[in-house]
Amino acid sequence: MPRYMIERTFPDGLGLTPNQQGNQAATSVIANNAQQGVTWVHSYVTPDKKHTFCVYDGPSPEAIRKVAERNGLPVDRITEVRVLDPYFHM
Amino acid sequence: MDLLERDRDLQALATALGEAAASRGRIALVAGEAGIGKTTFVEHFLAAHGRDARVLKGNCDALFTPTPLGPLYDIARQAGGKLAVGIEGSAPRAALFSALLEQLQGGARPTILVIEDMHWADEATIDLAKFLGRRVAEARVLFVATYREDEVGPHHRLRTLLGDLAGSRSTTRIALSRLTIDAVRALVAQRPFDPLLLHRQTAGNPFFVTEVLSSAGHGIPATVRDAVLARAAKLGPAGRTVLAAAAVIGGRIDPGFLAAVAGDTQEGLGDCLSVGIIEAAGDCVAFRHELAREAVLAEIEPGRRRELNRRALDALKAAGGGRGDLAQLVQYAEGAGDASAVLELAVAAAKAAVAVGAHREAEAQYARALRHSADLPPAERAALFEAHADELAIIDDLERATEERRAAVALWRGLDDRLKEGENLAALAWPLVRSGRNAEAEEVSRSAIEVLRALPPSRQLADAYRVRAHLRMLDRDRPMAVRWGRKAIALATRLRDEATVAAAEMAVGSAILVTGDDRGRAYLDRSIARASRLGQDAMVGLALLNIGTSYGEQYRFPEAEQVLDQGIAYTSEHDLDHANHYMRAWLALVRVHQGRWSEASDLAAALVAQPSLAAISRIMVLVALGRLRARRGDPGAAAALDEALTLAAQTGTLQRLAPVRAARAELAWLEGDKARCVAEAKAVHALAIKHRHRWHAGEFAFWRRRSGERVAVPAWCAQPYRLQLKGDWRKAAEAWHRLGCPYEQARALAEGDAAAQTEALAIFDQLGAAPAAAALRQHMRGTGVRRIPRGPRATTRRNPFGLTVREMEILACLAAGLSNGRIGTRLHVSPKTVGHHVSAVLAKLGAASRGEAARLAREQGLLPQNREVGDAK
Ligand SMILES: Nc1ncnc2c1ncn2[C@@H]1O[C@H](COP(=O)(O)OP(=O)(O)OP(=O)(O)O)[C@@H](O)[C@H]1O
Ligand SMILES: [Mg+2]
Repeated sequence: MPRYMIERTFPDGLGLTPNQQGNQAATSVIANNAQQGVTWVHSYVTPDKKHTFCVYDGPSPEAIRKVAERNGLPVDRITEVRVLDPYFHM
Repeated sequence: MDLLERDRDLQALATALGEAAASRGRIALVAGEAGIGKTTFVEHFLAAHGRDARVLKGNCDALFTPTPLGPLYDIARQAGGKLAVGIEGSAPRAALFSALLEQLQGGARPTILVIEDMHWADEATIDLAKFLGRRVAEARVLFVATYREDEVGPHHRLRTLLGDLAGSRSTTRIALSRLTIDAVRALVAQRPFDPLLLHRQTAGNPFFVTEVLSSAGHGIPATVRDAVLARAAKLGPAGRTVLAAAAVIGGRIDPGFLAAVAGDTQEGLGDCLSVGIIEAAGDCVAFRHELAREAVLAEIEPGRRRELNRRALDALKAAGGGRGDLAQLVQYAEGAGDASAVLELAVAAAKAAVAVGAHREAEAQYARALRHSADLPPAERAALFEAHADELAIIDDLERATEERRAAVALWRGLDDRLKEGENLAALAWPLVRSGRNAEAEEVSRSAIEVLRALPPSRQLADAYRVRAHLRMLDRDRPMAVRWGRKAIALATRLRDEATVAAAEMAVGSAILVTGDDRGRAYLDRSIARASRLGQDAMVGLALLNIGTSYGEQYRFPEAEQVLDQGIAYTSEHDLDHANHYMRAWLALVRVHQGRWSEASDLAAALVAQPSLAAISRIMVLVALGRLRARRGDPGAAAALDEALTLAAQTGTLQRLAPVRAARAELAWLEGDKARCVAEAKAVHALAIKHRHRWHAGEFAFWRRRSGERVAVPAWCAQPYRLQLKGDWRKAAEAWHRLGCPYEQARALAEGDAAAQTEALAIFDQLGAAPAAAALRQHMRGTGVRRIPRGPRATTRRNPFGLTVREMEILACLAAGLSNGRIGTRLHVSPKTVGHHVSAVLAKLGAASRGEAARLAREQGLLPQNREVGDAK
């Protein structure tokens, strides 16, 4: 399955609340992802919390956009990526 | 017997039954390798819940070529009524399917319908399951299908069905797992086996485990087969005789029938039952397991096996085997090595298969008959080749269809039967053109007419004219398509051959409409009316397809959308999958041009995942995906369009090549590669001009000029492109706007002044057209435009149910309490189409009623934003 890097912008900063609502949001994100065969691997966020770089596995860019839409997350750009391991050539 | 380690799975199935009892029908797919315990699991479930429901159960059999609708015979016997009468009386399958559905919908208790061993299912049974799968949602039915997961490879025909069912919210999947060491320990109990060793050797396969335990042998056999044979070795001579006969007969065996084949079974059968290799099953007996039968069968000495098959054949014939026994009779005859019996029975079995639409089985039986046909008179052999070719064409094995048809042509020619020769030449054109061998198709179609014209006027000649018209239509050659089509209509009318008239009207109408001339519509409407009268659903579907896609090819998107919606609804109601897929592919493309990208994306993504997509549908959906990805700047555009090009190149036709080349030119442009853009746009530009295709010719000229080439632009090219090429961006933008194409509109505006460019930017941003927006921003900065709007505001719109824009509109109407009729008027679609959308909305929201949907919509705040790009202008 291809791996994608998704860049997102949050003009007001990414608000993650560790309360019940936050949990619910996370659970529904996972359920939405699963339905499309998409897995969120992990993300990087800039210190000002305005940009994120998320690594996802998914069947197609359409599936990636679909879950973003369902999860109410913005998408600036999707790039297909592969792992480049620093020790690969040693 | 205790059922080990299945509590969770039983619970899942019980939950599904509860849902079904509350009128929310469910499908349960029970999967796992051979011997994992599917049958045992289902039997346990039925034992526990069978009283709360009516149970109907059918088995698919393990014949080389299965009995068409085999399981339905079992089910009909249990259900009785109209279904039982129908299946005995050879009723058409549509009648059988709806008789079953009717029975399922009636009744005070819910029904558990089980079809076992679907990996062996014939084509008609798979169609039945698909039919039920699409309709159970409103019935009080739990439909349980079992199959061996490991025997269903990626190209197995069950895959399509599984794909179909997996998408449904009504489906529960139950994958049975192997037994753990704890379960094996429990099964071993006090017996002298080492549980660890047994678990390792059997990998926890329950059949293997239980077989080893009951062989009571010494040590653990290496394979399932050895375990079975170890058990069989305990039988005396009488027992072995019966066992061999039973293995040849197979399935559930009537003891009387067994005696007819094996001779005296008194002692032998008792032996088999006490060793446990054969078990009582109602008033029949059966092998404990199909795996055991296979192991025993493989051990029988060939001469003995032939002899037993011979006796089974005679016994079943003497018992007066009916339609449901034909496939079994063929197998006995083949096992007995009786060529003339195989020939006779296989032809009968093939005809029975055709009658219920089991074309794969029909094909296999005709192929078998032909293998045994060396001594047949040539005319009869030729007829067999014809029938085989028909079936091969239906199942899309076009290469072999072509070969068999050519064989028929040669035989008829040898017999100097010119009428038959001509008829088969015309028929030969079809598999040829469908496999993209257009030039050869042309040639045989021409010879067909030549041969038939020398004879008195015939239906065959009318059909040959019709084929020629169709070929010319596909090649977008309007004058010739009309000319041949009119000849076909005139002759077929004179000979009262309505079906040929309808087909010819469709070819003529499409040829005219696709050039943008509305007079074609009248022919097509007449064709639809005639085909409906004749009950030719497939032709109705095809005519709707031709109308919808003709509008699409002419950039008449509102009309295309309306007819495609109608055609998609019609073909899904009538299970016409190929036409349905093709129209959905086209609808995706229409949505791309309309700027309704998330709908385009949903349609295309669902469609490319279809395992059995025909090449032409695949080409069109790949074009939609390629354009969409290119415009969004998403990865994978090139991959989609490379595959599309490979497929389109095989057809060599403008109809396929032009859309692919145009999309590739656009992608190259967006990637900043002008040389490649020119090369792509040039590839079939001349062909588009030759065919005077206004839109393709216009778009190719547009890309070439944009990339710096000097090209002439004929006056007949599509107006928006012509305006844009003349430099009249304002009028071009207006024209695109009137066509409902926001992206193309913005592309024209981007060529205008600063105000127009700002407007273009807003449209690009709203669409999510990142590459076009970025290029325009850079250009504006370069030319010193001030106050360039920043990027799109991050959308925070929430649409957790994944409703499409259209569905959001429908939902808003539902919340306002409008009827389907009123909604239709408001949104300019038919009430039937509205009905379709409403069901989709209810399904996505998981709402049981319109009222509940409206309540959810308000609670979840789904109502305020029901406008999106494309409409928002
Ligand atoms: N959960 C279980 N616990 C204990 N024994 C089991 C269990 N499941 C199956 N068995 C044993 O394994 C045998 C084989 O199971 P079963 O016939 O149900 O397999 P199946 O999956 O239907 O195989 P096939 O694909 O060949 O039809 C059964 O006769 C039974 O003795
Ligand atoms: Mg079984």
